[in-house]
Amino acid sequence: MKKKSITLYINGEEHNVVVDVSDTLNHVIRNQLNRTDLKHCCGRGECGACTVLVDDDRYPTGRKAINSCMVLAAMMDGKRIQTVAGLEKNGKLHPVQEAFIEKGAIQCGFCSTGMIMKSVDILENNPKAKEAEIRQGLEGNICRCTGYTKIVQAVQQAGEVMAAKK
Amino acid sequence: MSQHSVIGERIPKLDAREKATGRCKYAGDMRMEGMLYGKIVRCWEYAHAEVVKIDFSEARKVPGVVKCLGPKDVTKKNYNTTIMKLLVPAAFSDVFGEIADLNIFNGRVKHQGDSVCGIIARTEKAAERAAEKVKIEYKPLPVIMTAEESKKKGAIQFTPLKPGNLAANFPEAFFPNGEYGWNSPEGKTVHQKFKDADLVVEDTFYVPRQKQVQMENHSYVAEYDDRGRLTCWTSTQMPKLVQNLISELFELPLTRVRVIQSPIGGAFGCRLGMIGEPHVCAMAMAVPGVPVKIEYLREEDWVASESRASGHFHVKAGFKKDGTPVACYGDYQVLKGGYYTHGSGPPFCTAAFMHGMYKWQAMGCKADIWFNNMAPFGAYRGYGNPENTFGVEQLIDRACNQLKIDPIEWRKKWAKGIGDETWLKGVTYASTGLDDCIKQAKQKIGWDKKKKDYAKQTGVKRRGLGIGIMQHTSGAWPMLLEHSNVIMRMNEDATVEIMASVSDLGTGAHTAITQIAAEALGFPLEDVHIKCCDSDVNGFDIGAHASRTIYCVGRAVMQTADILKKELLDRAARLLQIKPEDLAFEADKEIVCTWDSSKRINIRTIADQSIYSFDDPATGKTIGIPGQIVAHYSDFVKHCSPPFAAACAEVEVDIETGEVKVLAFSNAHDIGKAIHPPSVEGQLEGGAHQGLGYVLSEDIYYDKNGLCLNSDFTDYKMFGASDMPPESHVTLVESAPDPVAPYGAKSCGESALMGPIGSVANAIYDAIGIQMTEAPITPERVLAAIKKNGGVKK
Repeated sequence: MKKKSITLYINGEEHNVVVDVSDTLNHVIRNQLNRTDLKHCCGRGECGACTVLVDDDRYPTGRKAINSCMVLAAMMDGKRIQTVAGLEKNGKLHPVQEAFIEKGAIQCGFCSTGMIMKSVDILENNPKAKEAEIRQGLEGNICRCTGYTKIVQAVQQAGEVMAAKK
Repeated sequence: MSQHSVIGERIPKLDAREKATGRCKYAGDMRMEGMLYGKIVRCWEYAHAEVVKIDFSEARKVPGVVKCLGPKDVTKKNYNTTIMKLLVPAAFSDVFGEIADLNIFNGRVKHQGDSVCGIIARTEKAAERAAEKVKIEYKPLPVIMTAEESKKKGAIQFTPLKPGNLAANFPEAFFPNGEYGWNSPEGKTVHQKFKDADLVVEDTFYVPRQKQVQMENHSYVAEYDDRGRLTCWTSTQMPKLVQNLISELFELPLTRVRVIQSPIGGAFGCRLGMIGEPHVCAMAMAVPGVPVKIEYLREEDWVASESRASGHFHVKAGFKKDGTPVACYGDYQVLKGGYYTHGSGPPFCTAAFMHGMYKWQAMGCKADIWFNNMAPFGAYRGYGNPENTFGVEQLIDRACNQLKIDPIEWRKKWAKGIGDETWLKGVTYASTGLDDCIKQAKQKIGWDKKKKDYAKQTGVKRRGLGIGIMQHTSGAWPMLLEHSNVIMRMNEDATVEIMASVSDLGTGAHTAITQIAAEALGFPLEDVHIKCCDSDVNGFDIGAHASRTIYCVGRAVMQTADILKKELLDRAARLLQIKPEDLAFEADKEIVCTWDSSKRINIRTIADQSIYSFDDPATGKTIGIPGQIVAHYSDFVKHCSPPFAAACAEVEVDIETGEVKVLAFSNAHDIGKAIHPPSVEGQLEGGAHQGLGYVLSEDIYYDKNGLCLNSDFTDYKMFGASDMPPESHVTLVESAPDPVAPYGAKSCGESALMGPIGSVANAIYDAIGIQMTEAPITPERVLAAIKKNGGVKK
């Protein structure tokens, strides 16, 4: 199996790793870097549970939400990536995380980290996103527990906080 | 008594923060030194085949492979995935005909995805690659998909233990004529009683093989250590019972089996019993001293774990001209799948929940459950009730339509109430909030106005309104053993450790039970800690199912708290030299004499002295009362308080495309008392998602060879964030707290699935005048029905 030496910046930390070229970013982060705040579910880009944010200056916010199971780690050499663990700053949670907790938007929690990352992306693009836009933005994230009701309410609440901060 | 009123508070769930940060470690996130990876090798090519030969030679060459395990390398003991036999008397289990027809590695594949052998390797990748390289020679067998094929004379037999492929039915020994039901008060059978009806409506309903689709893939870790102890980390719904099953399968005493319940990433019944535990434990025992992890791929879930029962359910209902319900009869032809697992459990409950809803004068249900080459059905939220609701709720609307009776008024008049028998004979309702539920559901959706607006419609989009009501159970009694154990241990600082096997499936059970404990003790929330999830610590408990956790475990917690408080009062009485009946608990853990408030002692003092017992150097007398305070209660609940609910739906049917949109949905649930309101709402909102999926979009599809066509998220159609009804109301009805339930709280875990099923089906009927007898009600089916009827019937 062909290998490649790459550098990944995860939540601001530099990681130099040797990866199999067929490894997904999700696999490397979870199993080589042992960062299990990033979850693994379908492995095929269908469910969104593995969503991370990748710096990309082609996008208005400077970053983009992707399914980490759908990109090869070897192609992410040099990229700056944020997983859910990177949202917390000095013990203070991100407004989206706080809203999810407060609104009861987390039941089993398995979809939550991916849902939170995607929600951050939606709100960074538009903190005043309306309900229909939020729902459309979350179409790629599957939840089986909540019926999405409290998730959407949490995103709306977080949006208000983020809009006020701006 | 208590100044710390914590129940009913909208506190954040205890586990919310760790789940929001990703720090919650599910079994798949576990990492241990030297951990190996197990892969179950499954048959993907055939739904029915003999395993002729397994050749590991190529697999062994894959770097990193540690062991290849065939059927000879693990126990050949047969087992059943379920815990049913543990929860009924042995005689019942025999009469019901439970069999153990599964092996860890099966010599005959009975459904696609059946497990054939296993690989243990140093990495997941090595295990996957080796699994692909195992050469298995199969001899294909005829594939049986339908009940007709299964029962046919000469059809290939699934097991000699069940001649004719009849996996289960309602045995004559318990049910005369193989029917569950009862005769009319004047002694007529249900079949005779139909002659008294002015109107008989009947139909055969197809109900889908819905899948739980919990997001956490089945993942396990197991280790067989140097002390000969087998530890299994699993997100099972019933850790104590799984401990029993593992103990039996591997012939180990319970002291050498430890089940640690890892955080559960959704369950909905698919973790009710064993799934991959036998395999991971067998692998662990093959490499003693080394932990082994198995993580299922997502595509394994659809074919290698249990689903809802599917099949053709024939229902017949008879009414008098004035609407009086006379008789109701069900004949269910159910598709078991390849293995026995839950046997007749869910179909029996379909019959039982039919029994519990309306005041039929006579009733009967029979079920024939046929083996076929699908993944077996097992337990799924609602356990037979969705199947019941889809048929009965529609037949009622059909009858009301013909008799010109309002379907809501009919339900109000003829639904059961206090004193009537519940889903199981001999158990009667002690409370009902159904009238309030109907009122709330109807009002919040704007029923009256919308009904008028939609009275006459033309055009391509037709709107309709429908109601569906339901009852479910709180707890498993009297169908199954109800037994919970709670131990409360008072620490030296007067905080309390609550040891109870409470399974939180995402439901908020840990939080709500902690609230109940704090409330019952009169302590602040932070002064109680719930210790669960470890069979080494927790006493027996039957697990999370039958919507029992708050109702049964909550009750056991309250009983145990009473014992602890009595001990505290007794000690205070001795120390103050006052009768216990003259003492009362007050704020801040004070115990005070009711007629002289200067006579008081603090619980903190009692607790401290119970541990740090010293003799007074001056007098030589022991200070305080020595002995740690530990209270235990073994609760065998012998009552049931079923909750009711009413749901209303507004749909829009496009009669050119067949698409059904749910514009509005309103569910009112008879909770009695919401211990943790956000969790109750969460159950209702999430249950609606699954109910809508059941009635409109979800089914597992197989081709004629028994190979699954939609074993992925793309093709198994669940409602996404944008598909949920734009207008949605959830109402917690607390006007009818149950007299025996903890703080009046009835269950809600399973209930919310049923409302959408009846209400959406009836709303479609209201919109187009045609009843859809096959679920899910897909656009193709709607168009076919419109065509068959020569157009809409309204």
